[in-house]
Amino acid sequence: MMLAILTVAAGAWSAQLSPYYLNLDQIADSTRQFIFPGLLALGLMVVVVLGEIDISLASTLAVGTVLFSKFSECHVQVWIALPIVIGICGLLGALNGLLVAGLRLPSLAVTLGTMGAYRGLAFIIGSERGYTDFDDSYLWVGSERVLGDILPISFILFAIASLAVGFVMHYTVFGRRCFAVGRNNDAAWFSGIKVRTIKIRAYTLAGALAAFAALVWVGQYGSARGDNADGAILFVVTAVVLGGVDINGGKGTVLGVVLALFLLGTIRNGMGLANIAGPIQTVVLGGLLTVGVLLPALSASTSHFLHLLLPRRSTPK
Amino acid sequence: MSLLAEKNTPTVAVQRRGFSEFALRLRVSGVLAFLFLVGLIFSLLTPQFFTVQNATAIASNAAILSIVAAAQAIVLLTRNVDVSVGSMMGFTAYLTADYASRHPNVGAELVLLALVIGLGLGMINGLLVAYGRVSSLIATLATMSLYRGFTYMYAHGQEVTSNKLPKWMLHSVDLRVWGIPALVIVCIFVVVLVAIFLRHYPIGRRIYAVGSNPLATVFYGLRIQRVVLLAYGLSGLLCGFAGLLYAARVGTVTVILASGWEMSSLAAAVIGGVSVTGGSGTVIGAALGALVLATIDNGLVLLGIPEFWRMFIQGSSIVAAAAVDVFIGARIRKSLQGQRFGRRAA
Repeated sequence: MMLAILTVAAGAWSAQLSPYYLNLDQIADSTRQFIFPGLLALGLMVVVVLGEIDISLASTLAVGTVLFSKFSECHVQVWIALPIVIGICGLLGALNGLLVAGLRLPSLAVTLGTMGAYRGLAFIIGSERGYTDFDDSYLWVGSERVLGDILPISFILFAIASLAVGFVMHYTVFGRRCFAVGRNNDAAWFSGIKVRTIKIRAYTLAGALAAFAALVWVGQYGSARGDNADGAILFVVTAVVLGGVDINGGKGTVLGVVLALFLLGTIRNGMGLANIAGPIQTVVLGGLLTVGVLLPALSASTSHFLHLLLPRRSTPK
Repeated sequence: MSLLAEKNTPTVAVQRRGFSEFALRLRVSGVLAFLFLVGLIFSLLTPQFFTVQNATAIASNAAILSIVAAAQAIVLLTRNVDVSVGSMMGFTAYLTADYASRHPNVGAELVLLALVIGLGLGMINGLLVAYGRVSSLIATLATMSLYRGFTYMYAHGQEVTSNKLPKWMLHSVDLRVWGIPALVIVCIFVVVLVAIFLRHYPIGRRIYAVGSNPLATVFYGLRIQRVVLLAYGLSGLLCGFAGLLYAARVGTVTVILASGWEMSSLAAAVIGGVSVTGGSGTVIGAALGALVLATIDNGLVLLGIPEFWRMFIQGSSIVAAAAVDVFIGARIRKSLQGQRFGRRAA
């Protein structure tokens, strides 16, 4: 709720900052800014709900883009390439999951390692040159629009993905089990939930979503190189945390993440139109992340403080 | 039967404790063995590797990273992580270099300035993590972009070139004592100092205590928050110093200085046997980890292997080192548990 209000407020502020803001074409265009981090954020959200983290997702995306470039080079149809890339990215995610859940390694160390390893892998596959001669079929998802040339296809893809993840997380047994594991890993295990399988599945899902994000990236920028989306993970983590997903696991909604993405996208777009320099945008992003995570702690300590001040109410017997 | 048990258990216990100590020692000597192995492979593959000149080059490259790895290790020991080390270095480096370019006659107070800036930045991290109760990864991820962003804003697209820096600053890194670069000596000195602090001072032991069992630490009566704050402050202090050294070494200070060092420092610490789950590891190990990374880098360059393989190898070695740590940790826990049950039986 807060986030929806903030998004509208940010939109109004942006409209004030720049005369170009209130324009349907521009707004539709601005949604494209957060589609690829949005797809990553949806995957990360599932992992974070489990109480784990995956910071290797941006590198998985880079592996995806260079794979697409290789397929495009061989003139393979995108409809054949896409499932293969999804499969490979899913496998990379599953490898994270195996290391985290199977070997019980700390997820931060594992995904930090694979962040470097996958990034290196992307360079190894694609060599250091960038690739820009994509077949038009590869660009279609990320660049075309439908419905009177307004609605970007990538946005429809994002909407479908968020509905799907929302359904899985909030209306299926798997989703409920994810929350249970995140709330209390051991209790979930004792109640018979296959914690290991669930974690591996969540990481695989995140990896597969990174493949879709890679397709969107290819369409938007028309290029693929090993350093694609380098540093994007900050934006992704910010969106997940601002969206109210508890970094310790067990709490959060897909709707919250989507709203946080809209908010961040609006702010970024507004700042871009108002000619605010990139570094300052980064500072704003970092500041938002800090405030976002400090708020619950602050409100908790304030209420604690109030409890100390107010006379303690005796519990009814 | 009971007599037998009484007679047997202490020896079993001693043996088992012997195993865990042995395993931990093995972990550090494992790094040394790995270093030796890597060195051997490279010297077999290329004749340029095993020379005094190259060895000094490797040591100089590892020197500054070893300080940052030690800083990272201190934070890791408390079960936290600091991904803002690179940004803290960049921030300190740019501010001190800028100050030095405006005050050409500046002396050793420049070092003090760097230390103070670093300490301040580290304390901000510590406050967020310890008192703001923000998860350490999120907090330092945020400050990573904040510090870097502020450096950009302060710099206004400028850079401090080496001819604006005081001569003594640039010369001091090139100094050699008995053929060994002064930089290496300074870094060894700092790392050993931190190691002594962690091993022999009560505050240092508290850092280990918080990391190995936070709950027990609370029951024991230590204030976890203060210890974590101190760890982050110390980490910032070391990063500030490392930032100044790096600025002096590269000469031209840009805003992107030391970006990506969070990755290398974590890799060095983890490879050096510092556990990501806290409480175990040494800064000496972390410094050795930095040496391993520098050796691999150097060897790959000499062999003409593309730079991106480095990322791949670095990342994989983090995962491998983490796996080894978890394995050893599980074995130690098992042996300690056996010890406890043995005593109860007696």
